[in-house]
Amino acid sequence: MTLLRNWTLVPGAIAASVLLGNLPTASAATGDALVIEAGRIITQAGDDIIDGVIVIQDGRITAIGAAADVEKPWDAPVMGGPDFTAFPGFIEAHTNSGMDRANENLDVTPFLNVRDSIDPVNFFFEDCKRWGITTLNVQQGNNTVVAGNGRIVKPVGVTVEEMTIRPDFGYKISLAPKSGKSRATQRQTLNRAFDGLRSDLEDRVAAAKQGEAFAQREALGQGRERDADAGEGRAMTGEGWKVEGLEMVKRSDIDAKVLPILEMVEGRHRTFIYCGAPMDVQPAIDFATANGLLAKATLVLDDSCWKAADAIKASGLSVVLDSNMVHIEVDPITEEETETFVPGVFSEKGIPFALSSANPSTNSLWFQAALCVGYGMERSDALAAVTTTPASLLGLGDTLGSLEVGKAGNVLLLSGDPLDMTSWVEFTIVDGVKIYDRSKDVRNRHLLYGVEPRGATAIKSDAPETPSEVEVDGEVEDGDKVEVDGEVPEEEVTEDVVEEPTTKD
Amino acid sequence: MKTILSLGAIALVSPFATAGDIPQIVWDAPAETAKAVEASATVETVPIKLEIFADAIYTAAGEMIDGGTIAIAGSTIAAITPGGKGSEGGLHVAAITPGFVELSPRINLADLSVEESGEIMPTMRANLGVDLYDKRWERLLNSGTTTVLISPAAEDIVGGLTSVLKTGGEPTVEAREILADATLAGSFGSHASRGNHAVYGRPTDHFVRRPTTRMGTEWSHRKAFYDTLAAMGSVERQFEGWDIMGSVLKGERAYIVQASATQDIRTAIYLKEEFGIPNMVVDAAAEVWREPGLVARSGMAVILPPFAAQGRTAIDNGFLAWNTAKLLGELGVPFALSSHGSASLNGRLSMQAGYAIRGGLPFEQALAAVTITPARLAGVDSRVGSIEVGKDADLVLWSGKPFAATSRVVGVILNGELVTK
Repeated sequence: MTLLRNWTLVPGAIAASVLLGNLPTASAATGDALVIEAGRIITQAGDDIIDGVIVIQDGRITAIGAAADVEKPWDAPVMGGPDFTAFPGFIEAHTNSGMDRANENLDVTPFLNVRDSIDPVNFFFEDCKRWGITTLNVQQGNNTVVAGNGRIVKPVGVTVEEMTIRPDFGYKISLAPKSGKSRATQRQTLNRAFDGLRSDLEDRVAAAKQGEAFAQREALGQGRERDADAGEGRAMTGEGWKVEGLEMVKRSDIDAKVLPILEMVEGRHRTFIYCGAPMDVQPAIDFATANGLLAKATLVLDDSCWKAADAIKASGLSVVLDSNMVHIEVDPITEEETETFVPGVFSEKGIPFALSSANPSTNSLWFQAALCVGYGMERSDALAAVTTTPASLLGLGDTLGSLEVGKAGNVLLLSGDPLDMTSWVEFTIVDGVKIYDRSKDVRNRHLLYGVEPRGATAIKSDAPETPSEVEVDGEVEDGDKVEVDGEVPEEEVTEDVVEEPTTKD
Repeated sequence: MKTILSLGAIALVSPFATAGDIPQIVWDAPAETAKAVEASATVETVPIKLEIFADAIYTAAGEMIDGGTIAIAGSTIAAITPGGKGSEGGLHVAAITPGFVELSPRINLADLSVEESGEIMPTMRANLGVDLYDKRWERLLNSGTTTVLISPAAEDIVGGLTSVLKTGGEPTVEAREILADATLAGSFGSHASRGNHAVYGRPTDHFVRRPTTRMGTEWSHRKAFYDTLAAMGSVERQFEGWDIMGSVLKGERAYIVQASATQDIRTAIYLKEEFGIPNMVVDAAAEVWREPGLVARSGMAVILPPFAAQGRTAIDNGFLAWNTAKLLGELGVPFALSSHGSASLNGRLSMQAGYAIRGGLPFEQALAAVTITPARLAGVDSRVGSIEVGKDADLVLWSGKPFAATSRVVGVILNGELVTK
């Protein structure tokens, strides 16, 4: 089967769209179908498909199944082949990366938005493509009290808008002390943010009632029907505390800097509550319960928080593991070290957990899932922790996390099993558009083979030639099969590139 | 002066270069020298105290044994029996490899233990300053590393004598040391001259000493070996430690030098070639891939630093391409992998082997690079580094295929004792 068979259609489509005055986009309207073939499709939704085909149209999967059962659109480009394994794009349930600066030094800043901090050309997003992370929940850092509005993005595009999957998504709240604070002041600040809003709203309602009474008396005295102002405010909803009579207060009269907190209490926003120690967990759950956040809260956990797993289980909350996968505790007297494999604890207790790249691992989400298997976790549970669990934890379970009809066309084509040390992400496809091709990844070549990008070697005139020159951007002819089997380029190792030393000083 | 030095070096070196009886470390690839494991060869004198069955035994001394039992008597391997299914209730693991040998653990001496009174310190001994109560020994052992070479830190040009230790056992040097004064340690690059400065400020400052540059480091290196040659020819020219330096020139002891950047690796090779140092090992040799031909020709061995996610390693920022181990394997350059003492999940030595495999290195070579090859380079391959009858029973027990990301070290046996489970 040829790869990219019908890419010739694309220039035509672009030309047409230019003529029509439309700017060509990555998935032009006429040529936006894509057929992906793979020797094995790991769907994360039932059994693997051997020799399968995925059809993506308008960014969504329209058909998936064994090659014999799936009808391929006649005009769709075809990529992949029997050597590839297809897998859903990895999902990062929570990250502070990709931003200019992740932490604001003010304590309570729900009026901020990470939209203004996300840097589309940040190296981090390039790495995401490379490691096959196709969805990221970007939230402010943990060094905060109540942080700004987060955002779900894909690592595609040069503007934040292009990248955005869900704008204005979620808020970070931290129970762990911000640097320079004690836990007590941290919690006091947090409680004041919520309780302060509550008493402020109560004051406003009281004032409104007073104003209402005055207006009524005035109308009575003037012998006329009073014009009702009702309907300008909105009664408070949600599972937490309520201020009765809030419908008497216009929402626009409430300080915009704290309005998001009211919306959180009303259950309109997801919250990501960071716990830096086991002692933060129960207060976090109590805080979330009292303020009506529980239904849409996710705990973001330090490695030590496995100790509070029972409390988490009882709360029904899901978690993101934000720190080391192995927690090492040192007995202060005997100095004995106890190691606990953190994801294993949550897996055993049946607490939904997502892994995150904030774990100090050099190799992204696949590597962490692989380590989980090494520690005895079921492979399906480990894979779920980087695909379906984070998808549902972000409320995107219907559109992301697995390869099924109707879901987003986020597909990785790997050179082998996703958990294998020798596998590489060869292609990353997001919404049916190829966004990464390892054969053209100059940084990957530099890292793996030491081949420096073109231009870099020319500048360093005193440096010897690299062992081999590798074509990194060779043209693909129509009908040509693109070799992506990860072969190391020929190295001319016998060539002695440095002259014999003639002097030694 | 330059001419005299060079002539002197050549004249003095030539007798050694032609001597046939110089003991040399065998640099051959493990596959060529590996002896076939003799099945069921038992040592009758000591009773068998532990038997472990594994679905796969990777001996680092020949072919993988597809299912077999290792019997341990005392502290050594008494028998290796292929086949069978293991005894009922006995120890049964997915795979066994030899205990790992780490030549660059960097947990032995803190920087403060660097001898600051001079730069050429061949008589310093790492085993006199080692802290065996350091928690990191235990972590290393639990991660599978059973033997390490400890060196004086690389802040001196010639740092002194190294020592080969087991990572566990009684916390005394006597109990743990398997080879004293194993190799000589040296350093190129910025570490050797780090902190040194010319005379200013307090005149008694330790760091008022040469060298202060890369040039100075190389000059000191060459002068030290020139002085050694002179001392070997004349009693009057002898200095403290000349015999230790001499043992390196005679090939009786390997010279392990730290050199990370390309220019430092070149300098090390030139030093080897100028003085005809038979057994030289470049430690932390991140950028060795830039000089494949030169390294292969030089006959040097290499210790690679830990792989870094973005390629840049800790020492002198050397860039380590991920296929470097594969390249060295193809060139036939003997090489060892190292973790620099990390026992973390993603930094430990077994993971370094995994990363080397990710870079294209065949499994067997990756195994050798953390077991038998470093054992040979340190001169302790008669005792450790492979699974053979009569060798120390230092074994790593695995949950699956060794070095796979989905496998874990589930147990370590040191000197015949199960130290973790």
